[in-house]
Amino acid sequence: MKFKLMVLAVALVSFSGVASALDFGKLLEERINQELNKDKKTQPAQTSPAPDASQNTATPSPQAKQKIDAQQLGFALFGDYSPEEETRIGKQIAGNLLGAVPLVRDDKLQRYVNLVGNWVALQSGRKDISWHFGVLDTEDINAFASPGGYIFVTRGLYQRLNNEAELAGVLAHEIAHVTLKHHLKVLKQSSLIGALGQAASNKVKDSDQVVQNLIGNGAEIMARGLDKNAEFEADRVGIVFAARAGYDPWGLPEVLQDLAGLPAKDSRTSLLYKTHPHPADRLAELGEAVGSRLDAVHGKDLPGRFYHLR
Amino acid sequence: MKRFLIPASALVLCVAAASALAAPGTVLRNDKLYSQPNASSKVAASVPKGASVNILSKQGGWLRVTSGKSTGWIRLLSVRAGAGGLGGAGLGDVVGAATTRSDPSRVVAVAGLRGLNDEDLKQAKFNGEELARLNTWQATPAQARSFAAESGLTTANVAALPVPQSAKTSSPWEAN
Repeated sequence: MKFKLMVLAVALVSFSGVASALDFGKLLEERINQELNKDKKTQPAQTSPAPDASQNTATPSPQAKQKIDAQQLGFALFGDYSPEEETRIGKQIAGNLLGAVPLVRDDKLQRYVNLVGNWVALQSGRKDISWHFGVLDTEDINAFASPGGYIFVTRGLYQRLNNEAELAGVLAHEIAHVTLKHHLKVLKQSSLIGALGQAASNKVKDSDQVVQNLIGNGAEIMARGLDKNAEFEADRVGIVFAARAGYDPWGLPEVLQDLAGLPAKDSRTSLLYKTHPHPADRLAELGEAVGSRLDAVHGKDLPGRFYHLR
Repeated sequence: MKRFLIPASALVLCVAAASALAAPGTVLRNDKLYSQPNASSKVAASVPKGASVNILSKQGGWLRVTSGKSTGWIRLLSVRAGAGGLGGAGLGDVVGAATTRSDPSRVVAVAGLRGLNDEDLKQAKFNGEELARLNTWQATPAQARSFAAESGLTTANVAALPVPQSAKTSSPWEAN
């Protein structure tokens, strides 16, 4: 049945889509620029999340297009992305980020981080995406998550870690961003979701460009950051993922303790502090949630297995 | 000022590396000092939010600290460790952290160490080659499972944490 619908959708696209694809792309671009500028000026007043807002404000497009959306992409109606759409957005962001900063050339390190990360991600409950982990070659102290399971930690942060539980804690925080779809929600809030849906459903020739337009310039979405409650939530959820994976749950808090001790004016943490609450706030907030709840959890630190970068 | 930052950050790095022995800390909420690193042990003292402590050692989710004349164990998450503020080591306190917060960007460049910035990210061009490299390191769930088993990692049943009440209200740090 699903297959039939797909065939139908593809057929519809090939009839009606191609002809109007370019015009549509242009419309979308204008719309996106409009939205991005609006975002810069003021926080959009309508905080009511996606479905209705996106439908009302989406690019005025032919009825036929909306039909395709409804069948091929659930989110225009139900406010959700397919894993494919999510991966596509995430891949674009990840590729752009890698254009700004390359990966550390150390196969053993990268492989190790992927094994730890995947093990933690197995506890996240999201089985519909394939996870990628990488260490970025920069002194900057930070970690990034992109939709679709693309997760990065910088060499600057990695080199401050003392054991596998701390690495697991950092990765778990980022994994939580992905499973909670925090970045996707940011995109939705700017009510671009309907527009993206149409872009993704059409075989627009330069569709990568459309996705790029959605996420802004390069990887700047990574510099915009999330709302602080999203960061607190990722701490709360991440610490539990790490604990479920059998690690000492205190890995992430220890990393936060370490960061709290860094001098305020350090160029290596400027982006981190721009996009995250201060580590001291994060510790306090986490403390409120944890209380005595993890007293009985005794996980592993695994300092011996931790891969040390020279 | 710039010159001062280099030795200052170097000093902080050393302090952190020395596993926080006798490092300064600040209490983040009203809490208790216990005689042992568990909440069923005797309470040695109460410590108010904002109090300064000296961190002596760490065990699991607990820190052994001195506060005034008392020594005892306090929950790791009730203390903010390290020196935070004003570009100086050893002076970490509430004010310092708040200053960090209110002045997050446009920081002084520390010689030889450079962070990422908005411009780097904005200018970034898609790099498919690096993305392909990333794929080569990908691990399968089966590989991750056997990797975990190698060091005796087993899954644990841990309940999700509740959203704290304070999540709705802004923290005092934010008020700055």
